Amino acid sequence: MATLKAPDAIDAKAKAKIVATFEKYINKGQVKYLKAGHLDVIEKERKGINFVDPVSKRKMIDCFSSAGCFNVGRHNPVVMQALDEALNTLDMGNHHMVSKEKVAFAKKLVSIAPGDLNRVLFASGGGDAVEAAIKLARAATGKKEIISTIKAYHGHTGFALSANGKEHYRGYCEPLMPGFRFVDFNDLEAMKLVVGDNTAAIIVEPIQGEAGIFIGEPEYLKGLRKLCDETGTLLIFDEIQTGFGRTGKMFALEHSCVIPDIMTVAKSIGGGLYPNAAVLYRDTEQLLNYVSANPDFHPSTTGGTDIGCAVSLKVVEYIEEHHLCQNSEQMGARLKAALLQLKKDNPKIIKDVRGIGLMVGIEYLHEFMGPMMSDALATQGIFAAYSGNAPQVMRFMMPITVSDQEMDQVIESINNAVAIMKRLLPLALPAAKIPIVLKLLNSEKVQTSLFGAIRVIEDGVKTVTNRFSR
Amino acid sequence: MSSKENEKTFESFAGLLSEGHLRELEEIGHNFIVDKREGNYIFDENGKRYIDCDNNEGCFVLGRHNQELAEELRVAMHETEQGNFPMISVEKANLAKALADFAPGNLECSVFSVVRGETIEFACKLARGYCGRAKLLSIGGSWHGETGFAVSLSDRANKDVFAPLVPDCQSIAFGNIDEAREQIDKDTAAVIIEPLQVHFNCRQQSSEYLYEIKRLCKKNKTLLIFDETNTAFGSSGYRFLCDYYNIVPDMLVTGEALGAGIFPIAATIITQEVNQFLNQHPMIHLSTFGGSDLGCRVALKTLEIYQRDKPWRETKRLGFKLMEGLETIIAKQDKPVIFAADGMGFLVSLDLGTREKAKSFCKRLAENGLLAKPANILKRCVILRPAVISGEEMIDEILKIVENTCNETHTL
Repeated sequence: MATLKAPDAIDAKAKAKIVATFEKYINKGQVKYLKAGHLDVIEKERKGINFVDPVSKRKMIDCFSSAGCFNVGRHNPVVMQALDEALNTLDMGNHHMVSKEKVAFAKKLVSIAPGDLNRVLFASGGGDAVEAAIKLARAATGKKEIISTIKAYHGHTGFALSANGKEHYRGYCEPLMPGFRFVDFNDLEAMKLVVGDNTAAIIVEPIQGEAGIFIGEPEYLKGLRKLCDETGTLLIFDEIQTGFGRTGKMFALEHSCVIPDIMTVAKSIGGGLYPNAAVLYRDTEQLLNYVSANPDFHPSTTGGTDIGCAVSLKVVEYIEEHHLCQNSEQMGARLKAALLQLKKDNPKIIKDVRGIGLMVGIEYLHEFMGPMMSDALATQGIFAAYSGNAPQVMRFMMPITVSDQEMDQVIESINNAVAIMKRLLPLALPAAKIPIVLKLLNSEKVQTSLFGAIRVIEDGVKTVTNRFSR
Repeated sequence: MSSKENEKTFESFAGLLSEGHLRELEEIGHNFIVDKREGNYIFDENGKRYIDCDNNEGCFVLGRHNQELAEELRVAMHETEQGNFPMISVEKANLAKALADFAPGNLECSVFSVVRGETIEFACKLARGYCGRAKLLSIGGSWHGETGFAVSLSDRANKDVFAPLVPDCQSIAFGNIDEAREQIDKDTAAVIIEPLQVHFNCRQQSSEYLYEIKRLCKKNKTLLIFDETNTAFGSSGYRFLCDYYNIVPDMLVTGEALGAGIFPIAATIITQEVNQFLNQHPMIHLSTFGGSDLGCRVALKTLEIYQRDKPWRETKRLGFKLMEGLETIIAKQDKPVIFAADGMGFLVSLDLGTREKAKSFCKRLAENGLLAKPANILKRCVILRPAVISGEEMIDEILKIVENTCNETHTL
């Protein structure tokens, strides 16, 4: 089988081959999209909070972390060691059978989960976990309706997608499952109006990530808990992005001390090496009775694998032993303070700064500024992505292992990127005052084409410059 | 591990995961702790050896704890890791190209997933997007997975407890050409088919039926999706079962055998024509773990092994031997224990008559050192799916255990 080699130093020519293969056999549109934001980088030398762009040789700081997967840092040696050891004896295992690894990791999960979230069901990834959670809610309650929130993001599989509160991901796949209703996040009164006798569950992210980092107010989350208790509705927290130290606590729910009936976790428990996910649920009579009578209601062939559980156990131990929750809290506070200062200094660019722990977002005045900033940050060695459900919000979710010195560098680079963006804005901002132009600038397709064209010009200039310098 | 420790592990499993699940395992004799794994075998905590004829529902096509693949993952993790999911990587590009070379006909583009259900969700969503139509058809007796679209399209007895499911998902009767002609129309986005229904007594679609469905799909510009989760990579006696029918679908779902039980990865392989939609609308379907760079490395190695060893050749030959052996056992019974055997290659189903008998047969098989599970739909059937690495002696061993189990059951 002829394959492309991955030499340690990928030059522009080698990269072009890889990109052409990716375009042909995976997706041309995706390359165009990535290129427009300077995100068409091949990740080499992945270590800690960094990776290296082998073409420019620039060391990038990963502030995306695959949407919060790399909490323990990239290529974490301790987690690698756990995977290496697991490979001596283990494979994925038989998903339906008992193994020491499953039991040990389930025990660890329950020990760190607050309240009486004492039961575990394994899944293969975040979407799969949400599927299981919604199936459990409907089946255990015998009710049909699920209330989600506007701009919520829960995944791309059928149940999860039906709970996604943004048209972008749903549009071409409709009709999705009936019985899903959406209300504004952080609006308890709106929730009270829609929860009824037929409501099986309310599903929320304690901090909305893809929506653009919106923190669930403690009073709102407490109100949801009370509402659920009063109406016999289950409360589902989706902690897929927020779990395992991302927000400065092991789970984001600890900020409000609200215990849901069902909680989904995924992403970072894989340690950036091996997929895993889980659903934790309270040992209430209603849930226990259903699962006990229907233990195979959601078997997952690749969920809770023996290798995966061995790796995930080490990930959680690493977070605990290295006090990463505290680090996330402290470094997050530094980052947020720096971004708030940036906002104060740039009121015409930054509308808001939100976040907690190392889940922090900047909201720009206009959607088109998200891709512009992504582009400017890339030139400063910061890999960051704007939110899928809110392009005007740039998320900073670097590994929570980030040190003080590294945070200095992050803050300096963001400041530099804003300075670069300010140079471009004299052109864009006056144009954005014309409603139709603003609409065009905010269109993803226009952004992709516009920034793609800028990339072509940049590449051309680089080629000419290189020729003359030779 | 001492027996006291084992007891504790079971107790914890019951307390943390599910007591009901443990009861179900007891009913089929699978209530032991999986310890060592090697080739066709797994060993329990006391060192007792079992031939794995479940293979985690077919993931371990290349045997348990495959050394080549474990080594590949070990090496790969020093060179790469999961990677940022939306990014371009040499690992993703290499695997997609290798799959294009490996897959039949003009199936050239891949989208990766972490579990079978996700591949089905993607295929259904893409079909709707590409065709601009909503209607999805599946065949009665199908089982496509546990996720939303997959459940909606599966013949699952209790699926109403999860309802309302995805609208415009319908099932048409197995082998009924008239119903297919009536239902596949200009509103149909896709027809999804398991060419062999493992969970329905390993029932096989007829060539005539599939050709007619292919013709109807072409006529109505409807996409044809083959779910080859169970049948790909040699288990059926063919590289893909669509090779046997000489039909190239518009989308082909590989299932988790792509990672061969060492890494969770699966793929949906589609034509360039269908991929045009994704080129115009990138980023509408994302998977954090699907297409992990490490997973791609393992899957690429798996494909190399499949290509090198071409296990389907032996599976085809030995599959006939397995089926003949089972038919001989059935014929020799004075009082029927196994009523019939059906299947193809190393995908074989035994009809035990009732659900209870199927469970009890599995329990006796386990006592005799063979691991097999009842089917999900036709629960009176027990599925035997040995790894494709099984040789002549292994097939003899399996037949011997089935025969002994049959005799013991008969004498009770």
